[in-house]
Amino acid sequence: MIFSFLADPEFLEGIIRILFVFVLITAAFTLSTRNIASLLTVYAVQSLLLVLIASFLYMIEGNQTLLAIAALTLVSKVLLIPLFINLIGEKIKISRDLKFNYLEPTASLLVSIGLILLAYVFLSGFFSEYILGKLFFIGAVIGLSLTLMGMLVIFSRKKVITKVIGYLTMENGVLLFGIFVADLPFIIEILIVIDLMILVLLTTILAIGLDSTREEYHQRLQTLKIWSGRED
Amino acid sequence: MIILSYLAVGAIVLALITLSKSHKTMNAFFILHTLTFLAIGIYALFTTTVPFETGSEYFYVDHLSLYEVLIAALLFFLASVYANGYVESLMQAQELHRNNLKIFYMDFSLLLTIVTLAFFSDNLALFWIFAELTTIFSAALVAILSARENIDAAIKYIFIASGAMLFSFIGLIFLYTLSGEVLGSGTLNWTLLLENAALLSPKMLTASFVFLFIGFAAKSGIFPFHTWLPDAHSKAPSAVSAILSGVLLNIGMYGILRMYAIVRQTQAEDMISQFLLGFGLLTVAIAVLNMLLQKNLKMLIAFSSVEHMGILLLGIGIGTPLALFWALFYILAHSLTKASLFFSAGILHRQYESNMIQDIRDVFSLQPIAGWGFVIGSFAIIGMPPFPIFSAKFFILLEAFGFSKSLVFAVLLLLVIASAAFARFLIEAFTRSSKETGTESLETPLLPYTVRSGMKFPILSILLMILALGVFFPEPLENLLNVIVYELGYL
Repeated sequence: MIFSFLADPEFLEGIIRILFVFVLITAAFTLSTRNIASLLTVYAVQSLLLVLIASFLYMIEGNQTLLAIAALTLVSKVLLIPLFINLIGEKIKISRDLKFNYLEPTASLLVSIGLILLAYVFLSGFFSEYILGKLFFIGAVIGLSLTLMGMLVIFSRKKVITKVIGYLTMENGVLLFGIFVADLPFIIEILIVIDLMILVLLTTILAIGLDSTREEYHQRLQTLKIWSGRED
Repeated sequence: MIILSYLAVGAIVLALITLSKSHKTMNAFFILHTLTFLAIGIYALFTTTVPFETGSEYFYVDHLSLYEVLIAALLFFLASVYANGYVESLMQAQELHRNNLKIFYMDFSLLLTIVTLAFFSDNLALFWIFAELTTIFSAALVAILSARENIDAAIKYIFIASGAMLFSFIGLIFLYTLSGEVLGSGTLNWTLLLENAALLSPKMLTASFVFLFIGFAAKSGIFPFHTWLPDAHSKAPSAVSAILSGVLLNIGMYGILRMYAIVRQTQAEDMISQFLLGFGLLTVAIAVLNMLLQKNLKMLIAFSSVEHMGILLLGIGIGTPLALFWALFYILAHSLTKASLFFSAGILHRQYESNMIQDIRDVFSLQPIAGWGFVIGSFAIIGMPPFPIFSAKFFILLEAFGFSKSLVFAVLLLLVIASAAFARFLIEAFTRSSKETGTESLETPLLPYTVRSGMKFPILSILLMILALGVFFPEPLENLLNVIVYELGYL
């Protein structure tokens, strides 16, 4: 059999580890890319990596839920959500998100290295009393790091569309964490995706008013101050 | 059965609102919706043996959930009556576009259904999802006026609350793994977790609680996740603000309360209790400092919500049965009082078309009901006797004495500042008359805004209710709260 190596768990584990590295690379791109279209592509690729990780894990473990999660992620996060955001992005005619709040890309990348280490230290403190396989532990660390890096994106980017992608990255991190730490009932996963879709729908619709560079919205455009409790 | 009837009523009303053409019919259907939800809740409370299994592992009805659902339905009812006149005024002032009217009512009615389902969820993951949905649908209500500042506030609300809720989900995954270690297969059913709480590893439970706390704290405006709250609550239409403060903040608190009931059975209690007290105190401190020199009326009320959530957190953190009893009572008292303040502020905003302190004058001659509603509401909210918040605060602090004297002194000091903030605002804004300042000749004199039908009723009825609650403590309510304390495993 030509695909016989796919039945070898050690080989599959190796592949999954490589995919982890790719996931982190996509997160780094999300932090630094200015072009909205490439941001969306990066998100789709990142989701696709999760699909692959879940599928390979299924080959090792044989847990049906993982396969269902992979299918669900493929349809919702690789296809539907990027397609929809792209549609809105064309409508509001912004192609670049140039400005950063508080952190420039280089600083964000340095901070995210710190966050990954933090996730590692934190989780090794708590999972020491549980026998979580080595691969699963690394998966949990990468998941938590991805969530934190997504938060960093929301924190440091200005346009609502970019913040939406930050939120989606966070959610991908939680999904990754969930895949490796616990097998939640599939119905919960479906509900989360529905929730995610409604959130993306609403925020991107609201983004039309805020992000647009078209003339009629121009006067209403000011910086979006998300983290300050400002008075007016 | 009960869950099904709630769902059915919710769906039917949603369909009816979708089909109706005029504002009057939409509003009537929405009022009907709230009344039916109230009726089902009261019926369930008096005719069935609560708590009961619902036949599904995902839902569970006990006294705490019924209590919260009844408070929510009552507030939605008052808000729906208020909305009748208020929304008409918004449309007349062209602040709310007529095309958005149907979306407004559909969204409002859907929000009530989702809030109800959230309180009845036994499965914590299901609760998480419903709580998430309440954020999204309430943020849509904040944004409905489609002014830039509203959309800004809504976006901020969504990203902070939903982003924090993702950390809660990590906490749920922790909890699931943790229960799997003990029970063989993982579960997120609150009832099962409470039964087996003593077996859970305290260390992992602490980690799980801290993650869950991040999300729930953001939902109920606890420092440092409160930054969305003042914007969203002050920019939203007042009928919505009342719901945001009176109902939606309770959802986060409800999550913390349920989780704390589990933690309380383990050795993790001491640490978590101090954790909650610390955040509670910080929240109160940040809120009152923001209130003190506040110039915006609705911002003042919104920061006062932050303050009260801090005190509630203290009540939960103290962890004695008596403190819990009064914290539960506090939820009811705060929800009602806060709604009356927002309803009054809504009328004042219609009158002056501004929330700023310098624009308010001649309150009592122009808007006597809203003016007095706000004054009495302020007295009630700062915890003056005989209003119910007084007794709730008093007994929570009395319980806190057993915990730490310096904590009580710190809280008392902060409460004085909060009272000073309200006093300062009232004295500056409500005593100003245009004759004294001599602006009458310069500007056109203000014409009184005709308060539309239904806007006074909620204010007056709440004032009556809180007065009654403050003076008599109805026995059925006392029994109900005692049963809740018992069901949460405190006794």
